[in-house]
Amino acid sequence: MSEGIENKKVPREPLFSKKNKKLVTEPLADNNPVTIQVLGICSALAITVQVEQGVVMGGAVLFVLVLGNLIISLLRNLIPSRIRIIVQLVVVAALVIIVNEVLKAFLPDVSEKLSVFVGLIITNCIIMGRFEAFAMANKPWPSIMDGIGNGLGYAGLLILVAVFRELFGSGSLYGVKLLGSNIPGEEWGLYTMGYVNNNMMILPPMALIIVGIIIWVQRSRNKSLIEEH
Amino acid sequence: MAINKDSNGYTFTFAITLVVTVGTILALLAAGLKDRQDRNEEVKKQLDILSAILDVDKKKIDRSNAEENFKKFVDLDKAIVLNNKGEVLEGIYDIKGNVVEGKAFDVDIRKEFKDKKRNAEHRNYPLFLGEDEKGKTVYVMPLIGNGLWGPIWGNICLGADMNTIKGASFGHKGETPGLGAEITQNFFINGWVGEKITTEDYSFAPFKVVKDNSGATADSKVDGITGGTITSKGVEEMANRCLEVYVSYFNNLKTK
Amino acid sequence: METTLDIFIKAIFSENMIFAYFLGMCSYLAVSKTVKTAVGLGAAVIFVLVVTVPVNYLLENYLLKEGALEWLNPAWVDIDLSFLSFIMFIAVVASIVQLVEMLVEKFAPALYGALGIFLPLIAVNCSILGGALFMQDRQYSTIGDATAFSLGSGIGWFIAIVAIAAIREKIRYSNVPAPLRGLGITFIITGLMGMAFMSFSGIKYADDTKKKAKVNVADPNTNSSITVDPGNTLNAAVGNTNIINKED
Repeated sequence: MSEGIENKKVPREPLFSKKNKKLVTEPLADNNPVTIQVLGICSALAITVQVEQGVVMGGAVLFVLVLGNLIISLLRNLIPSRIRIIVQLVVVAALVIIVNEVLKAFLPDVSEKLSVFVGLIITNCIIMGRFEAFAMANKPWPSIMDGIGNGLGYAGLLILVAVFRELFGSGSLYGVKLLGSNIPGEEWGLYTMGYVNNNMMILPPMALIIVGIIIWVQRSRNKSLIEEH
Repeated sequence: MAINKDSNGYTFTFAITLVVTVGTILALLAAGLKDRQDRNEEVKKQLDILSAILDVDKKKIDRSNAEENFKKFVDLDKAIVLNNKGEVLEGIYDIKGNVVEGKAFDVDIRKEFKDKKRNAEHRNYPLFLGEDEKGKTVYVMPLIGNGLWGPIWGNICLGADMNTIKGASFGHKGETPGLGAEITQNFFINGWVGEKITTEDYSFAPFKVVKDNSGATADSKVDGITGGTITSKGVEEMANRCLEVYVSYFNNLKTK
Repeated sequence: METTLDIFIKAIFSENMIFAYFLGMCSYLAVSKTVKTAVGLGAAVIFVLVVTVPVNYLLENYLLKEGALEWLNPAWVDIDLSFLSFIMFIAVVASIVQLVEMLVEKFAPALYGALGIFLPLIAVNCSILGGALFMQDRQYSTIGDATAFSLGSGIGWFIAIVAIAAIREKIRYSNVPAPLRGLGITFIITGLMGMAFMSFSGIKYADDTKKKAKVNVADPNTNSSITVDPGNTLNAAVGNTNIINKED
């Protein structure tokens, strides 16, 4: 599975070599962790009702992924292969708990928003998947790049799905009422003309269908991604 | 490397080192940050109570100045704790139902509500007394209940007549954003303001959260949230169950 | 009060791990190409859930929760180790999976042949840890309830993955637009199945049934039983599970 091959004794690469840049840019589209690698779906569906949540969750995963990839990559020659899954899980969990405890003490408002996701971050397969597929076999620097790439790819997809769901489900974007207001007594905008929010968008199954459509669009544009069946 | 990474000895050593390191870091962190975290929670609680009494956004009250404002508007010395019959307790109930020393502000209703080992008759019902901006007496009653996904809570503020709702604030742990989570919004809260909690003969008037969004005005009817039915019903159940306790206390007070 | 059977049925249908919470989606999507493998993974998930949730329940109640250490020493009643719960649960899940794998391999080679390859997959299946976290969050009062919940969740997950695998086997003969083949159509089908499962949770018609189910709202003596319970409503709404609403 590991895309990178460890280069021993190869002259040092520049920090932003083509290969390293590719590590960041690939997951943004053609190797997106959610739509192509099928990782991290659980959380992608559960928390994309509003853009704000997507941003918070994406940021948190990005942070944990980069840091975790770095730690695992540094430890990669020390971890006994038989217990490597447990070790990876412990590293993720410890990181997430540390982040949450620190936020709770210093930025309580952010922590309140995030606390619902803490469990979701730990169980996010993206993190484990990248540890196993990349960080276990690569040097720290490429691992960090891989973390950034996949974290951004994940966050990007979350936000994309959330934009659709929030706009059509609640008529707003990032909490800003774009289509008007439907509060009884003070309607304005589209709602005065009889527009109604699509409550279906807020319900979880629509997230699946939107992701399905995004996959559809992506694969129509890039035929090489099409599966046989 | 000379060490055999697959030997049992190495695996165990590694596992133990990892557990000890991680455990130490976490324990140190938790112990070191506990005071700050407790403090934050206390401030949050004060803020929740304050937002039932007045509009905290308008008065620019946030975490930084919550404490001084809390002291200004709420008199903790007058706060009392009731049992579920509406009688004043000399202290607070502990989990076994003994009355022990304790203050109203220290009662953690969320924990008590969740703890299935605690007998429902031995829950504590704190009642806070304070003043609104015009210096009139207000009563703040914390509420706790279940929404669709998890706990919901709130504070309801009564005017000096111990009957008319002056303000409210609601919170939730993880209700659906855009649906159930809207209970924290002003349009939902405004539906509560002005309602009466008792009928003319002093008996408790249960609330009904209605869902037609028609701008319900009749007494004890509150607009629900379209699509957030279960959360709305949760608020209704929570308000009726908790407020009834306080109504019996107020009635005792009035008949005396 | 919520009965054990109630918890069990709820965990299968209205609180289905896949369709209500999207837990364990990764392996759900990856291992649902044929019914045979789906049955294998589904069975493994049931098995691991039933083993790990009760263990974590004991851990939670006798070690982690505030006051849980009282049985060791009354002076420790104030110790709250719940900040460790994530890490403990994960460690328990991962080590039990490993242990089960070894035991099954040694004592039941036939079963190992069937389940073996799925067990490592399960350690990273979010539904297992999710089960532990829900158990902690909902504070089940007995270990029996916790076990019923874990069995129900496992069965719910099993039903979900076997159903999607059966559909995917059939869909091979359909003319799905090329870019949608495989993952895309699976997502959409899962979405549609999710909608079907939502009808179990009585989203809109909770209103009418609540009156029937919750007559005791204003009765102060029965405070304990009047938590609003979406699952209960749903069962009343579906109307085919009379057993569950004994109390009305």
